[in-house]
Amino acid sequence: MEEPPLREEEEEGDEEEEEEEEGEEAGPEGALGKSPFQLTAEDVYDISYVMGRELMALGSDPRVTQLQFKIVRVLEMLETLVNEGNLTVEELRMERDSLRKEVEGLRREGPAAGREVNLGPDKMVVDLTDPNRPRFTLQELRDVLQERNKLKSQLFVAQEELQCYKSGLIPPREGPRGRREKDAVVARARNASKNKEEKTIIRKLFFFRSGKQT
Amino acid sequence: MAKKTYDLLFKLLLIGDSGVGKTCVLFRFSDDAFNTTFISTIGIDFKIKTVELQGKKIKLQIWDTAGQERFHTITTSYYRGAMGIMLVYDITNGKSFENISKWLRNIDEHANEDVERMLLGNKCDMDDKRVVPKGKGEQIAREHGIRFFETSAKANINIEKAFLTLAEDILRKTPVKEPNSENVDISSGGGVTGWKSKCC
Repeated sequence: MEEPPLREEEEEGDEEEEEEEEGEEAGPEGALGKSPFQLTAEDVYDISYVMGRELMALGSDPRVTQLQFKIVRVLEMLETLVNEGNLTVEELRMERDSLRKEVEGLRREGPAAGREVNLGPDKMVVDLTDPNRPRFTLQELRDVLQERNKLKSQLFVAQEELQCYKSGLIPPREGPRGRREKDAVVARARNASKNKEEKTIIRKLFFFRSGKQT
Repeated sequence: MAKKTYDLLFKLLLIGDSGVGKTCVLFRFSDDAFNTTFISTIGIDFKIKTVELQGKKIKLQIWDTAGQERFHTITTSYYRGAMGIMLVYDITNGKSFENISKWLRNIDEHANEDVERMLLGNKCDMDDKRVVPKGKGEQIAREHGIRFFETSAKANINIEKAFLTLAEDILRKTPVKEPNSENVDISSGGGVTGWKSKCC
């Protein structure tokens, strides 16, 4: 009981398995010699037994009876504290074990995870075995989209032209292109009027892309 | 003289957060159809629709942009040529509404100064999931002097109206190159129907 608590705490970590046997070996009286940090509910009952026996031996003096009530109360308090303390220890032990496992797991993955951390803020790791990994550049995407949209607009123009032939609006021998070009007014083409005659419809559509029209 | 397929070509652009329904709005307008499956637009796409306004055949080339951040360098290069920009948010997505100011800044930075802008609060059929009141949309549109519609591509609410109104607004300020009898009512109608005070 007089031992400084700090030292006890340190020792406890390493000797946790032995502590219980110690108490059993010493019998009921042995509980009184234990460190308070290793006390169990059983030890408290042993102490109760020892003290009860000694109080009985003092006889039936009313002062002894008075004291007995207080001692019982103190022992009950001790029982509660010991129980709660042990529960807390058990919880902490479980948490420690799971954290140990976690650390071991992280150590096993070690090298890969370590590299990722060292990459710096604006980097990422590409998994070369992932079929969906990024592998094309922005410029490549830009080019593909531009070509797709160009072909799409050419298709629209061709469809329109075909429609004109089908509906008989343009006689087949008349070249429709030159004529349609002149007629179609591209809105806001005020600055581009000089070149207007040479521009195909597709070029007009794609004026949008080049962004020269300010 | 052989008949031409259109008189004017207007280039429009749809912008706004990913998933607000830009592609669906366009699909409803161009094909009068709706698809519930969400397929994120890759970079930039476009559709063509010819409409008739004030006796003019107007070919609308409507550019549909990807809302995802990773495509922004591609999509912003398409702002420049746009004559009209539709900024779309989702009335059931508060974040998409908060981002309107960010999109308006993008317009200021990358588009022509005289571009015609319009704000659309889409998915207005989902009133039970609404988080952006109509009044808030109207207010922000008023603050920026732009038109506003609540739309639903799914229920086909205000879609055609929005596109036609934007086209009309562009037509109103389009300079007439070769004046003839047909063009007179365009220029004279300019200030009468428009409520906007902004000058072109």
